[in-house]
Amino acid sequence: MTIEQTIDTLHSIKTIQIVKNLLVDNDLVAAANRQRFVASGILAVNVIAAPGAGKTSVIIRMIEALREQARVGVIEGDIAGSIDTAKVLAAGARDAVQINTGGNCHLEAGMIQRALDDLDLRQLDVVFVENVGNLVCPTHWALGEQIKLCILSAAEGHDKPIKYPEIFAASDAIVLNKIDLIELVDFERDFFYESVRALNPSAPIFEISCRTRAGISDFGFWILECLKQARGQTAELNRTASS
Amino acid sequence: MHELSIMSYMLDTVEQQAQQSGARKVLAINLVIGERASFMDDALLFYFDMLTPGRLSAGAKLNIRRTPMRFHCAICDNDYAPAIGSFRCPDCDTVGQVTSDGSELLIESMEIET
Repeated sequence: MTIEQTIDTLHSIKTIQIVKNLLVDNDLVAAANRQRFVASGILAVNVIAAPGAGKTSVIIRMIEALREQARVGVIEGDIAGSIDTAKVLAAGARDAVQINTGGNCHLEAGMIQRALDDLDLRQLDVVFVENVGNLVCPTHWALGEQIKLCILSAAEGHDKPIKYPEIFAASDAIVLNKIDLIELVDFERDFFYESVRALNPSAPIFEISCRTRAGISDFGFWILECLKQARGQTAELNRTASS
Repeated sequence: MHELSIMSYMLDTVEQQAQQSGARKVLAINLVIGERASFMDDALLFYFDMLTPGRLSAGAKLNIRRTPMRFHCAICDNDYAPAIGSFRCPDCDTVGQVTSDGSELLIESMEIET
Protein backbone atom coordinates (compact mmCIF):
# COMPACT_ATOMS: atom_id res chain seq x y z
CA MET A 1 0.00 0.00 0.00
CA THR A 2 2.71 2.43 1.03
CA ILE A 3 4.77 1.50 -2.03
CA GLU A 4 1.82 2.09 -4.39
CA GLN A 5 1.19 5.49 -2.88
CA THR A 6 4.83 6.41 -3.46
CA ILE A 7 4.52 5.40 -7.09
CA ASP A 8 1.41 7.55 -7.47
CA THR A 9 3.22 10.67 -6.33
CA LEU A 10 6.15 9.97 -8.63
CA HIS A 11 4.10 9.45 -11.76
CA SER A 12 1.42 11.66 -13.17
CA ILE A 13 -1.58 10.74 -15.23
CA LYS A 14 -2.60 12.94 -18.10
CA THR A 15 -5.08 13.00 -20.93
CA ILE A 16 -3.89 13.66 -24.46
CA GLN A 17 -6.35 14.93 -27.06
CA ILE A 18 -5.69 13.30 -30.41
CA VAL A 19 -8.81 13.48 -32.63
CA LYS A 20 -7.38 11.57 -35.56
CA ASN A 21 -9.08 9.39 -38.11
CA LEU A 22 -8.45 5.75 -37.27
CA LEU A 23 -7.32 5.09 -40.84
CA VAL A 24 -5.08 8.12 -41.28
CA ASP A 25 -2.04 5.97 -42.15
CA ASN A 26 -3.97 4.10 -44.84
CA ASP A 27 -5.31 7.39 -46.22
CA LEU A 28 -1.77 8.79 -46.60
CA VAL A 29 -0.72 5.81 -48.73
CA ALA A 30 -3.99 6.08 -50.69
CA ALA A 31 -3.20 9.73 -51.46
CA ALA A 32 0.23 8.69 -52.80
CA ASN A 33 -1.40 5.99 -54.97
CA ARG A 34 -3.85 8.53 -56.32
CA GLN A 35 -1.00 10.83 -57.20
CA ARG A 36 0.55 8.01 -59.24
CA PHE A 37 -2.72 7.33 -61.06
CA VAL A 38 -3.24 11.02 -61.83
CA ALA A 39 0.39 11.50 -62.93
CA SER A 40 -0.03 8.60 -65.38
CA GLY A 41 -3.33 9.90 -66.76
CA ILE A 42 -5.20 6.90 -65.38
CA LEU A 43 -8.73 6.58 -64.08
CA ALA A 44 -8.77 4.13 -61.14
CA VAL A 45 -12.05 2.49 -60.13
CA ASN A 46 -12.44 0.65 -56.82
CA VAL A 47 -15.07 -2.03 -57.43
CA ILE A 48 -16.93 -3.09 -54.28
CA ALA A 49 -19.69 -5.70 -54.09
CA ALA A 50 -20.80 -8.85 -52.32
CA PRO A 51 -19.51 -12.22 -53.59
CA GLY A 52 -21.42 -13.18 -56.73
CA ALA A 53 -22.81 -9.72 -57.53
CA GLY A 54 -20.84 -9.73 -60.78
CA LYS A 55 -17.68 -7.69 -60.15
CA THR A 56 -15.53 -9.70 -62.57
CA SER A 57 -18.33 -9.87 -65.16
CA VAL A 58 -18.84 -6.09 -65.08
CA ILE A 59 -15.09 -5.54 -65.48
CA ILE A 60 -15.00 -7.96 -68.42
CA ARG A 61 -17.94 -6.18 -70.09
CA MET A 62 -16.10 -2.86 -69.61
CA ILE A 63 -12.90 -4.28 -71.14
CA GLU A 64 -15.00 -5.27 -74.17
CA ALA A 65 -17.02 -2.04 -74.35
CA LEU A 66 -13.98 0.24 -74.04
CA ARG A 67 -11.71 -1.80 -76.32
CA GLU A 68 -11.50 0.86 -79.05
CA GLN A 69 -11.18 3.83 -76.70
CA ALA A 70 -9.27 2.79 -73.57
CA ARG A 71 -6.66 0.29 -72.47
CA VAL A 72 -7.83 -1.45 -69.32
CA GLY A 73 -5.71 -2.90 -66.51
CA VAL A 74 -7.04 -4.85 -63.54
CA ILE A 75 -5.87 -5.36 -59.98
CA GLU A 76 -7.65 -8.42 -58.65
CA GLY A 77 -8.10 -8.76 -54.90
CA ASP A 78 -9.09 -12.15 -53.60
CA ILE A 79 -8.58 -14.02 -50.38
CA ALA A 80 -6.95 -16.80 -52.45
CA GLY A 81 -6.50 -17.95 -56.06
CA SER A 82 -5.93 -16.20 -59.39
CA ILE A 83 -8.90 -17.42 -61.41
CA ASP A 84 -10.22 -13.88 -62.03
CA THR A 85 -6.86 -12.60 -63.31
CA ALA A 86 -6.86 -15.31 -65.96
CA LYS A 87 -10.44 -14.36 -66.92
CA VAL A 88 -9.79 -10.64 -67.37
CA LEU A 89 -6.59 -11.25 -69.35
CA ALA A 90 -8.48 -13.65 -71.62
CA ALA A 91 -11.13 -10.93 -72.08
CA GLY A 92 -8.50 -8.49 -73.34
CA ALA A 93 -7.16 -6.65 -70.29
CA ARG A 94 -3.76 -5.16 -71.19
CA ASP A 95 -2.30 -6.07 -67.83
CA ALA A 96 -3.50 -7.66 -64.58
CA VAL A 97 -2.06 -8.20 -61.13
CA GLN A 98 -3.39 -10.60 -58.53
CA ILE A 99 -3.36 -9.70 -54.86
CA ASN A 100 -4.07 -12.52 -52.44
CA THR A 101 -5.02 -11.04 -49.10
CA GLY A 102 -4.47 -14.31 -47.26
CA GLY A 103 -7.71 -14.04 -45.33
CA ASN A 104 -8.01 -10.27 -45.07
CA CYS A 105 -11.56 -9.24 -45.97
CA HIS A 106 -10.64 -6.08 -47.90
CA LEU A 107 -7.84 -4.43 -49.85
CA GLU A 108 -5.73 -1.72 -48.21
CA ALA A 109 -3.79 1.14 -49.81
CA GLY A 110 -0.42 -0.50 -49.07
CA MET A 111 -1.42 -3.59 -51.09
CA ILE A 112 -2.26 -1.38 -54.08
CA GLN A 113 1.02 0.51 -53.68
CA ARG A 114 2.94 -2.78 -54.06
CA ALA A 115 0.70 -3.97 -56.92
CA LEU A 116 1.34 -0.75 -58.87
CA ASP A 117 5.02 -1.69 -59.13
CA ASP A 118 3.92 -4.73 -61.16
CA LEU A 119 1.59 -2.83 -63.52
CA ASP A 120 2.90 -1.02 -66.57
CA LEU A 121 0.97 2.22 -66.00
CA ARG A 122 2.23 3.80 -69.24
CA GLN A 123 0.28 1.16 -71.18
CA LEU A 124 -3.04 1.80 -69.41
CA ASP A 125 -5.93 4.28 -69.36
CA VAL A 126 -8.34 2.73 -66.87
CA VAL A 127 -7.48 0.50 -63.90
CA PHE A 128 -10.25 -1.47 -62.24
CA VAL A 129 -9.40 -2.62 -58.74
CA GLU A 130 -11.61 -5.58 -57.90
CA ASN A 131 -11.94 -5.57 -54.14
CA VAL A 132 -12.56 -8.67 -52.01
CA GLY A 133 -16.22 -9.72 -52.20
CA ASN A 134 -17.82 -7.92 -49.27
CA LEU A 135 -20.20 -4.96 -48.83
CA VAL A 136 -18.90 -3.93 -45.41
CA CYS A 137 -15.15 -3.98 -44.88
CA PRO A 138 -13.79 -2.53 -48.16
CA THR A 139 -15.90 0.62 -47.68
CA HIS A 140 -13.55 2.27 -45.19
CA TRP A 141 -10.21 1.67 -46.85
CA ALA A 142 -9.41 4.26 -49.52
CA LEU A 143 -7.07 2.78 -52.14
CA GLY A 144 -6.29 5.92 -54.15
CA GLU A 145 -9.16 5.53 -56.61
CA GLN A 146 -10.99 8.44 -58.24
CA ILE A 147 -14.20 6.39 -58.44
CA LYS A 148 -15.67 4.14 -55.78
CA LEU A 149 -18.14 1.86 -57.54
CA CYS A 150 -20.70 -0.27 -55.73
CA ILE A 151 -22.31 -3.16 -57.60
CA LEU A 152 -25.48 -4.79 -56.34
CA SER A 153 -27.23 -7.62 -58.18
CA ALA A 154 -31.01 -7.65 -58.28
CA ALA A 155 -31.04 -11.14 -56.73
CA GLU A 156 -29.49 -9.79 -53.52
CA GLY A 157 -32.63 -7.78 -52.81
CA HIS A 158 -33.86 -4.19 -52.69
CA ASP A 159 -33.18 -3.86 -48.96
CA LYS A 160 -29.38 -3.82 -49.20
CA PRO A 161 -29.02 0.00 -48.87
CA ILE A 162 -30.91 -0.28 -45.55
CA LYS A 163 -28.62 -3.06 -44.33
CA TYR A 164 -25.31 -1.72 -45.65
CA PRO A 165 -25.80 2.05 -45.70
CA GLU A 166 -22.18 3.15 -45.67
CA ILE A 167 -21.14 1.72 -49.04
CA PHE A 168 -24.17 3.27 -50.77
CA ALA A 169 -23.47 6.60 -49.06
CA ALA A 170 -19.78 6.54 -50.01
CA SER A 171 -20.04 5.42 -53.65
CA ASP A 172 -19.51 7.66 -56.67
CA ALA A 173 -21.65 5.38 -58.83
CA ILE A 174 -23.92 2.40 -58.25
CA VAL A 175 -24.48 -0.45 -60.69
CA LEU A 176 -27.60 -2.57 -60.36
CA ASN A 177 -26.57 -5.76 -62.14
CA LYS A 178 -28.58 -8.81 -63.28
CA ILE A 179 -31.47 -6.50 -64.17
CA ASP A 180 -32.81 -9.31 -66.37
CA LEU A 181 -33.74 -11.14 -63.14
CA ILE A 182 -35.69 -8.26 -61.65
CA GLU A 183 -39.15 -9.72 -62.29
CA LEU A 184 -38.15 -13.14 -61.00
CA VAL A 185 -36.78 -12.02 -57.65
CA ASP A 186 -39.45 -9.49 -56.57
CA PHE A 187 -36.97 -6.64 -56.52
CA GLU A 188 -38.81 -3.45 -55.50
CA ARG A 189 -37.20 -0.78 -57.63
CA ASP A 190 -38.94 2.19 -55.95
CA PHE A 191 -37.85 1.13 -52.49
CA PHE A 192 -34.29 0.59 -53.70
CA TYR A 193 -34.07 4.02 -55.36
CA GLU A 194 -35.69 5.76 -52.41
CA SER A 195 -33.21 4.20 -49.95
CA VAL A 196 -30.18 4.91 -52.14
CA ARG A 197 -31.26 8.55 -52.67
CA ALA A 198 -31.68 9.04 -48.90
CA LEU A 199 -28.03 8.02 -48.52
CA ASN A 200 -26.60 9.45 -51.70
CA PRO A 201 -28.46 12.12 -53.67
CA SER A 202 -26.04 12.43 -56.57
CA ALA A 203 -24.35 9.15 -57.54
CA PRO A 204 -25.56 7.87 -60.92
CA ILE A 205 -27.32 4.50 -60.84
CA PHE A 206 -26.82 2.20 -63.84
CA GLU A 207 -29.17 -0.72 -64.41
CA ILE A 208 -27.31 -3.35 -66.41
CA SER A 209 -27.20 -7.02 -67.25
CA CYS A 210 -23.84 -8.58 -68.06
CA ARG A 211 -25.72 -11.55 -69.51
CA THR A 212 -28.01 -9.68 -71.95
CA ARG A 213 -25.62 -6.68 -72.20
CA ALA A 214 -28.47 -4.28 -71.37
CA GLY A 215 -27.16 -0.94 -70.13
CA ILE A 216 -23.50 -1.85 -70.77
CA SER A 217 -22.85 0.84 -73.38
CA ASP A 218 -24.36 3.61 -71.20
CA PHE A 219 -22.17 2.59 -68.30
CA GLY A 220 -19.11 2.35 -70.55
CA PHE A 221 -19.84 5.85 -71.85
CA TRP A 222 -19.94 7.18 -68.27
CA ILE A 223 -16.58 5.53 -67.51
CA LEU A 224 -15.11 7.27 -70.56
CA GLU A 225 -16.48 10.61 -69.34
CA CYS A 226 -14.76 9.98 -65.98
CA LEU A 227 -11.53 9.14 -67.84
CA LYS A 228 -11.74 12.50 -69.65
CA GLN A 229 -12.08 14.27 -66.30
CA ALA A 230 -9.14 12.28 -64.89
CA ARG A 231 -7.01 13.35 -67.86
CA GLY A 232 -8.03 16.93 -67.16
CA GLN A 233 -6.54 16.50 -63.67
CA THR A 234 -3.35 15.13 -65.24
CA ALA A 235 -3.07 18.10 -67.58
CA GLU A 236 -3.59 20.41 -64.60
CA LEU A 237 -0.86 18.58 -62.67
CA ASN A 238 1.56 18.85 -65.60
CA ARG A 239 0.84 22.58 -65.99
CA THR A 240 1.51 23.11 -62.27
CA ALA A 241 4.70 21.06 -62.48
CA SER A 242 6.06 22.97 -65.48
CA SER A 243 5.15 26.46 -64.23
CA MET B 1 -12.53 -9.48 -39.52
CA HIS B 2 -11.95 -5.86 -40.58
CA GLU B 3 -11.84 -5.06 -36.85
CA LEU B 4 -8.35 -6.62 -36.79
CA SER B 5 -7.04 -4.12 -39.36
CA ILE B 6 -8.66 -1.13 -37.72
CA MET B 7 -7.26 -2.08 -34.29
CA SER B 8 -3.84 -2.54 -35.78
CA TYR B 9 -3.92 0.96 -37.38
CA MET B 10 -5.32 2.46 -34.17
CA LEU B 11 -2.59 0.93 -32.01
CA ASP B 12 0.19 2.13 -34.31
CA THR B 13 -1.08 5.70 -33.88
CA VAL B 14 -1.63 5.36 -30.14
CA GLU B 15 1.75 3.71 -29.44
CA GLN B 16 3.58 6.35 -31.47
CA GLN B 17 1.77 9.15 -29.67
CA ALA B 18 2.40 7.52 -26.28
CA GLN B 19 6.12 7.22 -26.95
CA GLN B 20 6.36 10.84 -28.10
CA SER B 21 4.61 11.91 -24.90
CA GLY B 22 7.02 9.93 -22.74
CA ALA B 23 4.34 7.57 -21.45
CA ARG B 24 5.28 4.63 -19.24
CA LYS B 25 1.88 3.18 -19.82
CA VAL B 26 -1.37 3.88 -21.66
CA LEU B 27 -4.29 3.73 -19.21
CA ALA B 28 -7.23 4.37 -21.50
CA ILE B 29 -7.99 4.95 -25.19
CA ASN B 30 -11.15 6.78 -26.20
CA LEU B 31 -12.59 6.03 -29.63
CA VAL B 32 -15.65 7.37 -31.43
CA ILE B 33 -17.17 4.90 -33.87
CA GLY B 34 -20.29 5.70 -35.84
CA GLU B 35 -23.14 3.30 -36.31
CA ARG B 36 -22.72 3.48 -40.10
CA ALA B 37 -19.26 1.93 -39.81
CA SER B 38 -20.36 -1.66 -38.98
CA PHE B 39 -17.61 -2.34 -36.47
CA MET B 40 -18.54 -4.70 -33.64
CA ASP B 41 -17.47 -3.80 -30.09
CA ASP B 42 -16.79 -7.42 -29.12
CA ALA B 43 -14.54 -7.99 -32.11
CA LEU B 44 -12.70 -4.69 -31.52
CA LEU B 45 -12.04 -5.67 -27.88
CA PHE B 46 -10.99 -9.19 -28.87
CA TYR B 47 -8.35 -7.94 -31.33
CA PHE B 48 -7.30 -5.17 -28.93
CA ASP B 49 -6.47 -7.81 -26.29
CA MET B 50 -4.69 -9.88 -28.92
CA LEU B 51 -2.51 -7.04 -30.23
CA THR B 52 -1.52 -5.22 -27.03
CA PRO B 53 0.62 -7.61 -24.91
CA GLY B 54 4.15 -6.25 -24.46
CA ARG B 55 3.19 -2.78 -25.71
CA LEU B 56 2.52 0.46 -23.83
CA SER B 57 -1.22 -0.07 -24.36
CA ALA B 58 -1.25 -3.47 -22.64
CA GLY B 59 -4.02 -3.51 -20.06
CA ALA B 60 -5.44 -0.14 -21.16
CA LYS B 61 -9.16 0.40 -21.06
CA LEU B 62 -10.68 0.72 -24.52
CA ASN B 63 -13.67 3.07 -24.38
CA ILE B 64 -15.85 3.10 -27.49
CA ARG B 65 -18.41 5.87 -27.85
CA ARG B 66 -21.05 5.08 -30.45
CA THR B 67 -22.75 7.74 -32.54
CA PRO B 68 -26.06 6.92 -34.24
CA MET B 69 -26.89 7.40 -37.90
CA ARG B 70 -29.23 10.39 -38.44
CA PHE B 71 -31.25 11.73 -41.34
CA HIS B 72 -32.54 15.23 -42.00
CA CYS B 73 -36.16 15.85 -43.01
CA ALA B 74 -36.44 19.01 -45.10
CA ILE B 75 -40.24 19.21 -44.62
CA CYS B 76 -40.17 19.05 -40.80
CA ASP B 77 -36.70 20.64 -40.65
CA ASN B 78 -35.76 17.99 -38.11
CA ASP B 79 -33.04 15.38 -37.70
CA TYR B 80 -34.26 11.88 -36.95
CA ALA B 81 -33.01 8.37 -36.30
CA PRO B 82 -34.49 6.01 -38.90
CA ALA B 83 -36.95 3.32 -37.93
CA ILE B 84 -36.02 -0.29 -38.66
CA GLY B 85 -36.38 -1.08 -42.35
CA SER B 86 -36.97 2.45 -43.67
CA PHE B 87 -35.15 5.75 -44.00
CA ARG B 88 -38.39 7.79 -44.03
CA CYS B 89 -39.15 10.56 -41.55
CA PRO B 90 -41.21 9.12 -38.67
CA ASP B 91 -43.34 12.30 -38.52
CA CYS B 92 -44.26 13.07 -42.14
CA ASP B 93 -43.19 9.87 -43.96
CA THR B 94 -41.11 11.65 -46.60
CA VAL B 95 -37.63 10.41 -47.43
CA GLY B 96 -34.94 12.46 -45.68
CA GLN B 97 -31.27 12.90 -46.40
CA VAL B 98 -28.52 11.20 -44.40
CA THR B 99 -26.32 13.53 -42.33
CA SER B 100 -22.66 12.95 -41.50
CA ASP B 101 -23.63 11.72 -38.01
CA GLY B 102 -22.72 8.12 -37.47
CA SER B 103 -19.84 7.97 -39.94
CA GLU B 104 -17.15 8.83 -37.36
CA LEU B 105 -14.04 6.66 -37.05
CA LEU B 106 -11.92 8.62 -34.60
CA ILE B 107 -9.30 8.30 -31.91
CA GLU B 108 -10.51 11.10 -29.66
CA SER B 109 -8.05 11.03 -26.78
CA MET B 110 -6.03 8.81 -24.50
CA GLU B 111 -4.92 8.77 -20.89
CA ILE B 112 -1.31 8.02 -20.17
CA GLU B 113 0.88 7.63 -17.11
CA THR B 114 4.22 9.37 -17.36
